[in-house]
Amino acid sequence: MYDTFDEQYAATIGIDFLSKTMYLEDNKTIRLQLWDTAGQERFRSLIPSYIRDSHVAVICYDITSKKSFDNLTNWINDVKLERGDEVIIVIVGNKSDLGNKRQVTQEECDELVKKVGAKFALETSTKANHNVKLLFKKIASCLPDFNEVEERNEPETIDVNIEQSENTSSCC
Amino acid sequence: MSLYEAPATTTGHLALPTDKTHSRSGSSYSGNYSFINMYDCPSPGSSHAVDPTVESELEELHLTEELNSAKRLGEVAEVDEGDEGDGQGQGQGQGQEADEDSSVKESDTSDSKDGTIVGSDTSGTNAGSQVSATMVGSSSVLSLARNSNISVSTRTSSIPFDPTSSILDISDQAVHDQVLKSNFDRYGFKKPSSEGSNGVSGERYNTWFKDYSRYLERNKKKWQALMKNNGLGEAESRTKPPNRFPPKSDKVKKLIRKGIPAEWRGNAWFFYAGGHEKLNKHTGVYEQIVRDTEGVHNKDTEVIERDLNRTFPDNIYFNKSLETKHLKDSQLNSSAGKEETQSIKSLRRVLVAFAHYQPHIGYCQSLNFLAGLLLLFMREERCFWMLVILTERIIPKVHSANLEGVHIDQGVLMLCIKEYIPQLWGILGKNFEGETLSEDKILTRLPPVTLVTSSWFMSVFVGNLPIETTLRVWDILWYEGSKSIFRISLTICKMCLEDTAFNSRGNVGSGAEIDQIELFQFMQNYPKTIIDPNILIDNCFKKIGGYGFGSLSQDEINKCREFVGKQRARLTSKKQSVMKAEMSDEERRALQSSGFDGEIHDVYGFHRSIMSGVAWNKNISNRMKKKWKK
Repeated sequence: MYDTFDEQYAATIGIDFLSKTMYLEDNKTIRLQLWDTAGQERFRSLIPSYIRDSHVAVICYDITSKKSFDNLTNWINDVKLERGDEVIIVIVGNKSDLGNKRQVTQEECDELVKKVGAKFALETSTKANHNVKLLFKKIASCLPDFNEVEERNEPETIDVNIEQSENTSSCC
Repeated sequence: MSLYEAPATTTGHLALPTDKTHSRSGSSYSGNYSFINMYDCPSPGSSHAVDPTVESELEELHLTEELNSAKRLGEVAEVDEGDEGDGQGQGQGQGQEADEDSSVKESDTSDSKDGTIVGSDTSGTNAGSQVSATMVGSSSVLSLARNSNISVSTRTSSIPFDPTSSILDISDQAVHDQVLKSNFDRYGFKKPSSEGSNGVSGERYNTWFKDYSRYLERNKKKWQALMKNNGLGEAESRTKPPNRFPPKSDKVKKLIRKGIPAEWRGNAWFFYAGGHEKLNKHTGVYEQIVRDTEGVHNKDTEVIERDLNRTFPDNIYFNKSLETKHLKDSQLNSSAGKEETQSIKSLRRVLVAFAHYQPHIGYCQSLNFLAGLLLLFMREERCFWMLVILTERIIPKVHSANLEGVHIDQGVLMLCIKEYIPQLWGILGKNFEGETLSEDKILTRLPPVTLVTSSWFMSVFVGNLPIETTLRVWDILWYEGSKSIFRISLTICKMCLEDTAFNSRGNVGSGAEIDQIELFQFMQNYPKTIIDPNILIDNCFKKIGGYGFGSLSQDEINKCREFVGKQRARLTSKKQSVMKAEMSDEERRALQSSGFDGEIHDVYGFHRSIMSGVAWNKNISNRMKKKWKK
């Protein structure tokens, strides 16, 4: 969000909200609104009331944790239940700087993308600031053209952090 | 020795004059004091090594409970706590515990004093092996203590389980000045940086702190007078935190709202929340659970482990890398091999024990912040029971597996806003599309603002309000119960509404034009700017010049909770039956789209809707009386 990675980041309770304006090459501006939700499963019961308003769901897993990858389907189902097929699903594998501890291959992820009909998948490292900008650019380019009604159509993004291990908290 | 040298320089920020340490020390302490002095001027709390609170454990009132717990803790401590040996040693040195029950002390009187110093040269790094060593001999207990860590071992070196001690007593001018200069506040939290997170700069903090500490000084005198009037030892309240407090009364309540002296907080919270009663009924339980749950691995412990280092990463007692940060390269700190502080270890035990003791809750994120804050003010057994009291009695179901209590309390809060701040409800009582929410929707699909406000309840403002403000709210919470959370929430909401920034963003009154998201973000960040607790508290309770939310009664809240709970249950079961019933998709859709309006038949009224006229008249008549008197 702010091009920084904070080593000392307290856990999210409920929700954290951030918004950021992005300037794209073709003079388009897009304001992203990010909802960072608590990772624990029980918090899901709080989510549906706002998930339905979002255009994009960024669902993250940890490439060093197979379990977090396996849980993705649950979250994707949640999103689809609320939003049907209207929502653009993006899968993000975080902690790409820890390649040596990798438990999930890129192929596995690509397979999942096809299976669930996600828009694309990307590996990032919020810590090393790798691919984070690209992620948002790619998201922005996927969005339908809102030119006609200009600013009123702000895409909202839900950033669902799954199975965040310590120190992976991110400020993109 | 080398172990201690680093902290001496790194933690200079909150250093205390060492002569002070000596001045209060008894001769029996000499061993321990040299231990402390090796740190030169260590981190916050070293002052408390001087101020052992173990003795307070032997208050006549809670003699048995305290004695037993001391015993138990002694045992647990040896197994789990690095600092234990030290604490025991000091307790004995004082001769207080020893007189009451020699078994508490075990046999390490002399060992501990020598061991403190001797052991320091032979530290191991493997905590596990040291723990087992503790069972063998008490001198190894002390080597463990020394190894335990740098900042925290100084703080807890006297009484590991009772960090009433971690709070710096700023009535001492030198300490006061140290806090001013330091990057950390008196609780060990990093002060707002000059870059100003949320617009609160370090300078603004210090300006406020100077004023506020004068306020605290005056306030403490009032407390001391109150204690004296209630026959609670003067000496007691001067030298160490009192363990007993005056019974509840309007006078006490007033003073509580003005704030409990920070050094007394842990004991006062525990006292007024009914901690002693709880602990008396469950003697030995915590110790047993800690033993039973040691080394347990399950779903809860997994999440707990992940959250430990995300709990107060800006507090020196919870994040060791903070104090070495300016010394060494930041790269060093980022490595995974961080040493755990004593508080983190306590936090782990408390959370794991709690999850075990309350299986319907298990571990719920936000409990880490609640327990973490408690641990800054009390030892872990007490912290454990306070968590139990909070989740059983004060905000029940809020942390339960389905978070039903969150839904209920948010429903109640929304009804309160609707009732008491209708103007704000006109803005917030909508979904993001600007569609006004009907009452049944409030209860099943809460308005977006509850995403902000639910964390106020789950973590009882920890991390939402600035620390000092949070503590003042907690003073009231433990004394007055859950209505305080509602009252404070309403106050924050109303303060938001009255803020010009909110008005300009929200363009209040023009309905559909309001950008819900902007307001949402504003309300999320607003509480962090309330650094002066008195503003919040006065706004909340003052009838004139404030909002007078003190008139919102617990009875109202309870009835409202019951109402919302019942309605939710009814609507949920209706929804389910709609889904189950055999009907065509069309029928179902029609039924669903018709919503559940008109389902709420119960006449629910806030007291105010019946009583507001009366209250108003009372208020007016009081003022008239005053005028007549003049």
